[in-house]
Amino acid sequence: MKVRRKHGVLRVDLHATEAALFTVLFTDLSALLVEEDAEDPVIQRLYPDGYADDAAASSEYRELVTSDLRDERAGRLQACWAEVPADGGRFELDDEGGDRWIKVLNDLRLALGTRLGVTETEELDESEQSVAVYQWLTAVQDMLVTHLMD
Amino acid sequence: MSPPTLQPQRESAVDERADEQIDPDRPWVTVVWNDPVNLMSYVTHVFMKVFGYPKDKATALMLDVHHKGRAVVSCGPRERMEGDTATLHGYGLWATIQRDS
Repeated sequence: MKVRRKHGVLRVDLHATEAALFTVLFTDLSALLVEEDAEDPVIQRLYPDGYADDAAASSEYRELVTSDLRDERAGRLQACWAEVPADGGRFELDDEGGDRWIKVLNDLRLALGTRLGVTETEELDESEQSVAVYQWLTAVQDMLVTHLMD
Repeated sequence: MSPPTLQPQRESAVDERADEQIDPDRPWVTVVWNDPVNLMSYVTHVFMKVFGYPKDKATALMLDVHHKGRAVVSCGPRERMEGDTATLHGYGLWATIQRDS
């Protein structure tokens, strides 16, 4: 994946293998969001408590915001998915599109990072395929963020 | 044997809400907590985008989160802090609301 920024527009070039990988990841995340198993640590991480030490207030907060958060999360995933050229290739993003992409990449990294049990101190086993995917997502997100902050 | 008293229940009821009764205007804060997944660059970008903070302030807050484990990123009325927290949750940051201490 390559990213260039020209006249405020992000130009993203994807390899066919990267496009295929995004399709797999988007399919998985989409299924997980639809199922929304409250016991799943990924769902717990994507929809955290609003209050650290007040269960009643957290419950009220959830009722207030979760429906909107859920719609936004599902909507941005579909929007990014629709932009991925099936066989790889180029697509362009304005700042809002870039912001949407880094949110979706973050959802993917939170999901995968939670599954992998990522911590600040322990090294990941790089021979594992899912670790390689996680590190690729990290590099892609960092690249997009860097271009957006320029 | 319980001591004779006329007002035990009333006392505990007052205790529970003591904070709010003494200072109803005490502002609320939004706290962002350290997280092993969220990138430093991403967190800085989010603080700039969501709060309109300049890059140096956003970077300083991000470093506080990273090194101290948490940082207060906004303060104000409770409803606004719930809005800020929801926006940060939309970005996947780990944020909570609490009374200013």
